[in-house]
Amino acid sequence: MKHAWSSLVFATMIVVMPAAASASGGGAHLEEANISLDQETLRKGLEVFTDVCMGCHSAKYVTYRGLMDYPEIGLTREQVDELRGDKALLSGLLTELTPEDAAEFYGKAPPDLSVIAPGRRGGGDYIYSLLIGYDHDPKGEIEDGNYNKAFPGNRTAMPDPLAWLDHDPEETADLEEQARAVSSFLVFIGDPHQLERKAIGRWVMGFLVLLTLVLYLLKREVWKDIKKH
Amino acid sequence: MIDKLMNTAVFKWIDDRSNIGSIIREHVTEYPTPRNLNYMWNFGSLAITVLVLQILTGIFLAMYYKPSAAMTIGGYTVAFDSVERIMRDVNFGWLIRYMHAVGASAFFVVVYMHMGRGLYYGSYKNPRELLWIIGVVILLIMQGAAFFGYLLPWGQMSFWGAVVITNLFGAIPVLGDFIGQLLVGGFAVGDPTLNRFFSLHYLFPLLLAAIVGGHIHALHVVHSNNPEGIDIDHDKETIPFHPYYTIKDAFGVCVFLLAYCYFVFYNPSAGGYFIEVDNYVPANNLQTPAHIAPVWYLTPWYTILRSFESKLLGVIMMGASLAILFVLPFLDRSKVRSARYRPVYRQMVILFFVAVLTLGYCGHASATPVLKVVGQIATAVYFGFFLLLPFVHKFEKTKPEPEGI
Ligand code: HEC
Ligand code: HEM
Repeated sequence: MKHAWSSLVFATMIVVMPAAASASGGGAHLEEANISLDQETLRKGLEVFTDVCMGCHSAKYVTYRGLMDYPEIGLTREQVDELRGDKALLSGLLTELTPEDAAEFYGKAPPDLSVIAPGRRGGGDYIYSLLIGYDHDPKGEIEDGNYNKAFPGNRTAMPDPLAWLDHDPEETADLEEQARAVSSFLVFIGDPHQLERKAIGRWVMGFLVLLTLVLYLLKREVWKDIKKH
Repeated sequence: MIDKLMNTAVFKWIDDRSNIGSIIREHVTEYPTPRNLNYMWNFGSLAITVLVLQILTGIFLAMYYKPSAAMTIGGYTVAFDSVERIMRDVNFGWLIRYMHAVGASAFFVVVYMHMGRGLYYGSYKNPRELLWIIGVVILLIMQGAAFFGYLLPWGQMSFWGAVVITNLFGAIPVLGDFIGQLLVGGFAVGDPTLNRFFSLHYLFPLLLAAIVGGHIHALHVVHSNNPEGIDIDHDKETIPFHPYYTIKDAFGVCVFLLAYCYFVFYNPSAGGYFIEVDNYVPANNLQTPAHIAPVWYLTPWYTILRSFESKLLGVIMMGASLAILFVLPFLDRSKVRSARYRPVYRQMVILFFVAVLTLGYCGHASATPVLKVVGQIATAVYFGFFLLLPFVHKFEKTKPEPEGI
C-alpha cells in the first residue's frame, strides 16, 4: 500500500507519456511512405529534389558542402562540383525562382523545404501522400492539378510535380519510388544528425543501464542495516 | 572518500578561513534525514539536476543563438537561422539544443511530481509554510523562463503563443495596455520582444538558482517531512544524508537520466509534445496557425483561462489558480499532515490530481464544445479543492497516526 502511490505515479509517467505522444498525429488518412535513410534512397531523393522540386523550392539550410560531409549522402567532390555549377560550395540548395515570380505564377511562394518534414504532422508520410495525392475532385469544384487528397482543405497551389494525375499505370511503381525517395531525403535534411544521434544514443543508454544497476546494488548494500518499512 | 578529502592540507587551509567544513557537515554529509522517505522524495534532487542541465546547455546555446527577428531568405529570420545552424553545423549543437528543449519539459515533470508529493503528504503545513511558498515562487519563475525561452526559436508557435499571452494583459483594466506594451517592447510582438525575452530568459534561471538556495535553507531550518507526516525524534529516527541519501539520490538521478536520454536521443520532439510541430514553421505574422496551444506544461492554466466567456474573468481566474497555491498552507486547518491518515483529504487530493491532468488534456486538444464543458468541470474541481479545504477538518475522521517511523 505504501509503495502503491509512488509506483502508480511512475507507471503513469512511463506509460502515458509515450502513448500520448504517439496519439498526436491526426488529420487526413496518410499513405505509409516506408521512409528509409540508406544512401541509395537518399541519393535518389536528392536527384529528384534537384531535378524537379528545386524548380520552385529551396532547401537553404542544406549546403553543397553538406552533401559531401554528411556520410549518409556522401557525394564526392567531383559529383558536387557537377551539381553546383558556378554556385558556391557553401551556398544552400536555392531555387532560381524568385518569390515574386512564384506568387505571380502559382499565387503563393513555395515554402523552403529544409525543415518541412518536422514541420508537418505526419512528416515523411504526409509529403509522400501529398506527392501521390493528386486526383479528380469528386465534387468537381477544384480544378484538376489543384485538387489533392492529402493537402489540408484539398486545394493546393502546387502544380502536380511528379505528374501523378492520370499517369500511365505502368509508371505507378516508378513514381511511387520517386515520391518515397524524395520524402526520405526531406526527412533526412529535416534533422541531418538523426542517425548519428540514434547511434550515439545506444551507447549512452547502455552505459546508463549499467550505471543504474551498479548504483541500485550499491544503494541496497548501503541501506541493508536500516529497518525495512 | 569525503573524509579523506576533508583532511587534506588544502581543504584545511580553506576551512580555517571559511568554515566550509562545518557547513558541509551540517548541511550535506551529516544532515539528519528521516529514515523512511520513499522515492517521491527523490524529485527535489532531480529538480536541481535538471536546473543545472538547463543552465549549462543554455549557456552553450547562447554562444551561438542570435536574438533577431530580421528577415533572411526563404521567410526565415536570423533567430530561426541561428537555431538551425546550431542543429546542423555546430559540433554536437543538436545534442545541446535537444537536451535543452527536452530538459524544459523534464523540469516541469519533475517539479510537478515534487509538488504533488508535497500536497499528498501535507508537506506544506506548519512548520513548512514558507518552504512551500518559496516553492510556488520557483514554479512561477520557471513558467516565466519557459515562456520566454519558447519565443526564442521564432517559430509559428513561439510567435503566436507570445501574441496570445501578451494580449491577455490587455484585459487588465487601466494598466493593462501599459503592461502589455512594456512586455512586448512596442505595440506588437516583434524584434524588440525577442530581445527582451532573451534577456529575461537568461536572467530567470539564474534567479531560480538563487531562490533554490533559499528553498534549501528554509528546508534545513524546519527539516524534511516524511510519508507518515508526523514529527520525528531527531536523534533516533534520522540517518545522516551521506551515504544513505546521496546514494539513493544518485540512483534516482540515473533512473531519471535513462528516461531523459531516451527522449533526447530517440524522440526529442516527443511527437509534438516537447517541440511543437508548428514551431518548425518560421514565424509569420500574417498567417495564424489553425490551432494555437501552449506546450503541455502550461496547458492546465490555459484551460482555466478558456473556461470563462469573459476574457477579464479568465485572466483573473488563471491568476487566481496560481495565486491560491500561496495560501494553501493557511486554508488547510487539519493537524494531521499525511493523506495516509486523512481519508477525506486523500480522495480530494487524488481528484485534484485528476482535475489537473484533465485540464492539461483539454488545453492541449483543439477546443470542442464537449471539451469546453469538461474543462469547466475540471476548473470547478480545481477551485473546489481549495474552497472545501478549510472545512474538511470539521467532519473528517482521521486515522490514528503511528508513534514513530
Ligand atoms: C511548379 C512549382 C513547384 C514544384 C516543381 C514543386 N512544388 Fe512543392 N509547392 C509549390 C507551391 C506553390 C507550394 C505551396 C502550396 C500551397 O500552400 O498551396 C508548394 C508546397 C509544397 C509543400 C508544402 C505543402 C504544405 O503542407 O504546405 C511540400 C511538402 C512540397 N511542396 C513538396 C514538393 C516536392 C517534394 C517537390 C518535388 C517533387 C515539389 N514540391 C515541387 C510549388 C512547387
Ligand atoms: C529554468 C531553466 C530553463 C528553462 C525551463 C528553459 C527553457 C527553454 C525553452 C522551452 C526553449 C525553447 C526550446 C526550443 O524549442 O528550441 C529555450 C531556448 C533557449 N534557451 Fe533556455 N531554458 C532555461 C535556461 C536557460 C539558460 C540559463 C540559458 C542561457 C544561459 C538559456 C538559453 C537559451 C537559448 C539561447 C535558447 C534558444 C535556442 C533554442 O531555441 O533551442 N536557457 N529555453
